[in-house]
Amino acid sequence: MAKFDRYFELAKQKGVEVLELYFSRGKSLSFKLYQSKIEGYKLAEDISLMARGIVNGKIGYASTEKMDKLTPEFLINEIIANAGTVTKEELAIIFKGSEKYKKKNIFSEALVSFPIETKKQRLFDLESGLKASDARIAQVTACQYMERESEAMLLNSHGLKLKRKSNYFYYYAGVLAMVGEERKSAGDVVFSNDPNTFDLKKMVKKIATKALEQLGGTQCESKSYKVVLDKEVVADLLDSYLENASAEEVHKKSSLMIGKLLQPVASKKITVLEKPLSKNIFYTYFDDEGVATSNKVVIKKGVLQTYFHNLNTAHKDNVPSTGNGYRGGGKVGVAFKNITLKPGKKTLEQLFEKVGQGVYITELSGIHAGLNSQSGNFSLQANGFLVENGKKTKPLTLITVAGNLVDLFMNVTEVGGDNELLLSGFDVPSLIIKKLAVSGN
Amino acid sequence: MISKKLALEVLNLATETGADFAELYCEDTLSSSLSMENQKIEERVSNNGFGIGLRLMKGLQTAYAYTSDISKKSLRQLALDLSKAFDGKRQLTVTELKKVKVGDINPTKRPMETVSFKEKYDLMKEVNDTMAAYDKRIVRTNVYLSDMKKEVYIFNTLGRFVQDTRRRTRLYMIAIASENGKIETSGEGPGASDGWEFLTEKVKLKALATETAKSAITLLGAAECPSGKMPVVIGNGFGGVIFHEACGHPFEASAVSKKLSVFWDKLGKKVANPIVNAWDDGTIEHGWGSNNVDDEGFPGERTQLIKDGILVNFMVDQFNGRRMNTPQNGHSRRQNYKFEPTSRMTNTYIDVGPHTVDQIIAATPYGLYAKKMGGGSVDPSTGEFNFTVSEGYMIRDGKIAEPVKGAALVGKGDEILSRIDMVANDLARAQGMCGAASGSIPTDVGQPTIRVTEITVGGRQGGK
Repeated sequence: MAKFDRYFELAKQKGVEVLELYFSRGKSLSFKLYQSKIEGYKLAEDISLMARGIVNGKIGYASTEKMDKLTPEFLINEIIANAGTVTKEELAIIFKGSEKYKKKNIFSEALVSFPIETKKQRLFDLESGLKASDARIAQVTACQYMERESEAMLLNSHGLKLKRKSNYFYYYAGVLAMVGEERKSAGDVVFSNDPNTFDLKKMVKKIATKALEQLGGTQCESKSYKVVLDKEVVADLLDSYLENASAEEVHKKSSLMIGKLLQPVASKKITVLEKPLSKNIFYTYFDDEGVATSNKVVIKKGVLQTYFHNLNTAHKDNVPSTGNGYRGGGKVGVAFKNITLKPGKKTLEQLFEKVGQGVYITELSGIHAGLNSQSGNFSLQANGFLVENGKKTKPLTLITVAGNLVDLFMNVTEVGGDNELLLSGFDVPSLIIKKLAVSGN
Repeated sequence: MISKKLALEVLNLATETGADFAELYCEDTLSSSLSMENQKIEERVSNNGFGIGLRLMKGLQTAYAYTSDISKKSLRQLALDLSKAFDGKRQLTVTELKKVKVGDINPTKRPMETVSFKEKYDLMKEVNDTMAAYDKRIVRTNVYLSDMKKEVYIFNTLGRFVQDTRRRTRLYMIAIASENGKIETSGEGPGASDGWEFLTEKVKLKALATETAKSAITLLGAAECPSGKMPVVIGNGFGGVIFHEACGHPFEASAVSKKLSVFWDKLGKKVANPIVNAWDDGTIEHGWGSNNVDDEGFPGERTQLIKDGILVNFMVDQFNGRRMNTPQNGHSRRQNYKFEPTSRMTNTYIDVGPHTVDQIIAATPYGLYAKKMGGGSVDPSTGEFNFTVSEGYMIRDGKIAEPVKGAALVGKGDEILSRIDMVANDLARAQGMCGAASGSIPTDVGQPTIRVTEITVGGRQGGK
């Protein structure tokens, strides 16, 4: 702690009214396997110091990875220079602190003490398991273990000081299945902070099945279908849709949810919660501005309950911050953690039965380019299966799905019960959509 | 940053256990970005990226470590820790590091750090106001100006010490148009390995701002694109993203060396119509993807990828080159010290062909003219790619007809490449950021207007 005193002293001397520092440090270790040998080994130590300060009522940002005796001078000078350029009229706020914080310890000692040899051995077992799973698995294209430990501290001139510490690991593997000239790839990530929960056989089976099932894929007829969206696809689309609930986007008039507070934004079947206090690897009890986070309902039976706020957007709307101020590209914007879409009761198979004739979409590609979160329009490369007579049948490849996010979420007719927490921080089930344009032939 | 003496010590410590190659990459990057919305400066952010990456190779194995703590003690410990990845005997000792002379293909007259805020502000405001004044329906304008200066030191056990300074400047403009509840967006982002003069002398920002605003307004009135398979004429410049995704990535040694590319066994074979020639050229003066040296410290190269329809070269880095028995050719890149470098594109483009744009349109009775493209992605192992048309027009009876929007083009790289049947003479390049294993790096895409005989178009209008 003492080492940051210099920053605050210097800030005071140079006329920075309030200073905030966000210091983070992490270390990670990873192994990569290729053809039964460790091909890559990686050790990392990272550190970063992000600072912001208020000068003449304007806020300036600066950050660095270089920590030496010149760093305080560099950061404070940059903050002053940068604050001086701001012409936007906006109240500059650095937070004094919430009344109460719900701090939990999520750091896993089990991960630290788990033998490194076992962590490595699992990687070899994963690769050999995948190779042995089927003769059509031509190659294990990726097989990787990574573990990471990180800690962060937020402190400011108001005397606020908050710390968090976490760790996690993941296994990632990918395969290429081949029959003749046809090539199909698949991969999966399993993550946790408890190495005792890792189920190797399940991971092998999932990846191999995912690749093999796609073989023999064709395109379907271009038309509108009843669709089952797999949970991974739901997570991607919900992520883009919820960006519209950011008060920042609403204020900039580029949200699809302007004026939609307490209005329907999705089908009655949809209830969405943000649960940053869930005890998993995404847990956080304060946001990047030091505001205490809380679990909350965002969409209740299709009706939007709240926008996501940071201190600034909250001030503009005259509401309290929802604890959604997170840093992106230096400045504090609005983001969310641990999104849950409340599950229904049906299994995936029962969703197929309910659809009868339609398409099951398992994967979308190119979302960064093919989905415009401002207009909500999307047209995306997809993979999936035909659903015929209530069963998943032929694989579909190089098809596209096109639509609009608002229509899509309004058109949800059934919510599955197959929730799973994904690496994207979304805990969501598969959904049935009344209709979606699919093109192929 | 780091003395030759310390670098020598670290390289020798790290190779204690039998590594046959070691490299120390050191980086000090100052970057700043200014963002303006509707004439107001929202914020200016500055950042100092700083750290080293130590890489070892032993046969077909690598070990990599990075840190921002470059004290002697920390680097010695890091070298020792990393050397534990191997357990053999010392194979080499470096006795001397010789500074390799590096030329400068990207000299700047006015480095961005010498330009006052006022000058930057005035320029941004002009772009902002040009877009805003184009039409009342332009409801929001954003202008971002970012620049960076990266100092790089690369030492390796071949005895090479390379020092390079990289400067990049980019201005990104976005126009958002709205009418009757509809919102459409258009953006342009010219950039170069250059200084202030790029923005004030070399690129016509005002014309580009008008073009950007016009595009957003056009989209307001555009119909949804139909779906199905059809001929597609792809516009010049950023249209080259199709070659980048469909062929560029599968031509990288990282995919080829492990036979993970559909093109891995196609060297010397016909992969395209003889009118197709393609290059990856890291030596273009001031090119957005150009560097004096690559991130392994080797000079950039101008590499022909396709010659008269025949695949003649891949883009190769040292490590993947080992598996391919092919020397590196200056294409190893990384975002920063946190990434192990690997084969990546620099400035990639399809060269001029024998046709004109008018001839191509006139020769197409029905199809899609994809004038402006968004980004895309590819799975090099299957060749399956997608990319987005942001501004398109239908072609009817050999003439450009009504505007359409919102289409994804999907296909397989090798199939699309073989279906290019017309190439025009209006070559242009455009700037983008490319994300892959070694991070996000600046790359140029480019091409003249081309025609592909058939691509699957996924529009929101649905089938014909």
